[in-house]
Amino acid sequence: MPGVTRKYVVPGELIVDGKYRLGANVYANQDKVYSTRVGLAEISRGEVRVIPLSGVYIPRVDDFVIGKITDYSAFAWEVDIASCFLAFLPAQSVFGRDYSPAQDSMLDRFKVGDLIAAKIAAFDRTRDPLVSVSGPGLGLINKGEIVKIMSTKVPRLIGKKGSMIKTVEAGTGCRLSIGQNGLIVVMGPPEGIAKALETIRLIEQEAHTADLTQKVEALLAESGGA
Amino acid sequence: MAIGKKPIVVEQIRKTRMAEFLSKGRRLSGRGLLDYRPIKIETGLIEKASGSAKVSIGNTQVIAGVKVEMGTPFPDTPDQGLLIVNTEVLPISSRNAEPGPPSEDAIELARVVDRGIRESKMIDLKKLCLLPGKKVLAVFIDVSVLDIDGNLFDTISYACTAALATAKIRKYDVANEEVKATEEMVPLPIRTTPISVTMARIEDVLIVDPDLEEEALMDARLTLASDHDDNICAGQKGCPGGFTVEQIMQARDTALVKGKENRDLLKREIGLA
Repeated sequence: MPGVTRKYVVPGELIVDGKYRLGANVYANQDKVYSTRVGLAEISRGEVRVIPLSGVYIPRVDDFVIGKITDYSAFAWEVDIASCFLAFLPAQSVFGRDYSPAQDSMLDRFKVGDLIAAKIAAFDRTRDPLVSVSGPGLGLINKGEIVKIMSTKVPRLIGKKGSMIKTVEAGTGCRLSIGQNGLIVVMGPPEGIAKALETIRLIEQEAHTADLTQKVEALLAESGGA
Repeated sequence: MAIGKKPIVVEQIRKTRMAEFLSKGRRLSGRGLLDYRPIKIETGLIEKASGSAKVSIGNTQVIAGVKVEMGTPFPDTPDQGLLIVNTEVLPISSRNAEPGPPSEDAIELARVVDRGIRESKMIDLKKLCLLPGKKVLAVFIDVSVLDIDGNLFDTISYACTAALATAKIRKYDVANEEVKATEEMVPLPIRTTPISVTMARIEDVLIVDPDLEEEALMDARLTLASDHDDNICAGQKGCPGGFTVEQIMQARDTALVKGKENRDLLKREIGLA
């Protein structure tokens, strides 16, 4: 991209000196912009941001995530969303406002160990995040292969306007559900799944390199020939 | 197994896939039913300990240290040295492990490993006696679990064995009811190399070296330790499920075959073979 400068930074390292808009993972002190993470700093069109190389998933409202039901109480399911926060799925959001623990059986909907596609409904860092399964494409996931990557690599796996997903899906014949928390469900024929998992691993390992798309296309072409 | 406060929950779709794979004689990780993950053994890492070893089986990693001190024998065994195994599951080892008093499962680890070493008579405890009824040598083995990915029993057992086999202690001279430490360093009185093999039963399939996911799904667990003459010298069964007689026999054979393989590997790694 023209007009973009990139460099690797560590926390506290001066990225740039001057008037810039502050993006993610940076802070400024008297017009000097510093990084708060280990990662790749990007300066483009007056904005400075750092793309971290590693880190856990921090929920954001409206994020699409994949979670695992780990427990339930009378009023909510506990959902592991591969974050430092444990999410909750309130029974009311599944059964409706008139949910009553006496009449509705929570086990009819989700059991411990079930995977769900969900959306972060509310989160403000003071309380545990709430998730919701109401919406198109959300709810129980009952087939496919689950794979976990670092959540910071998810943007590279998706690509610009979903270009990387499309490349992988076209190359393997699989469908990918990618949660922002780094959990991915791959559905499709067994050989396709194996290839897709290999490709996802490659993307995770090489996410910060410049010629990622070529590498992925090369790997996918290999399978076509074999 | 729950090392921490909460049990590990395995996704339903992984469970289904694992059952599918096992029925075809394969495992999710791509290993064969009776294959161990790569075993790595390093010894002599802790300078101040008499002996030490860091062992990893796959992603599971533990470090063990041996310390030898003077002590008084137990009244019922006045002519034997002491052997004390202690394990600690560090909070960094898993997101489920927490600081505080050890859980039941963490205590079981030390007991089973202790039993393997004691009952195989790996160390000749009588040779650790200096003055019968008064002074003996006490061998302390302290194990820290660094990383948990299943099969802690074998990992800890190999670490303890490797640390003991490479330990060097001060030679003591006994004369006129007096014990004097000399400058000379000698190895511990080692008689054999016990090796434990842990097997898990999932449905009707017996697998060795279960990883974390397999441990969460296993119906029953069996750890068998054997010495270099192929004697089974210690065992521990875990989990609520049971074994049929045939499965126990199969487990015994597996324990001896895999035990020999791992004993040879361990001896090679610590330079004894």
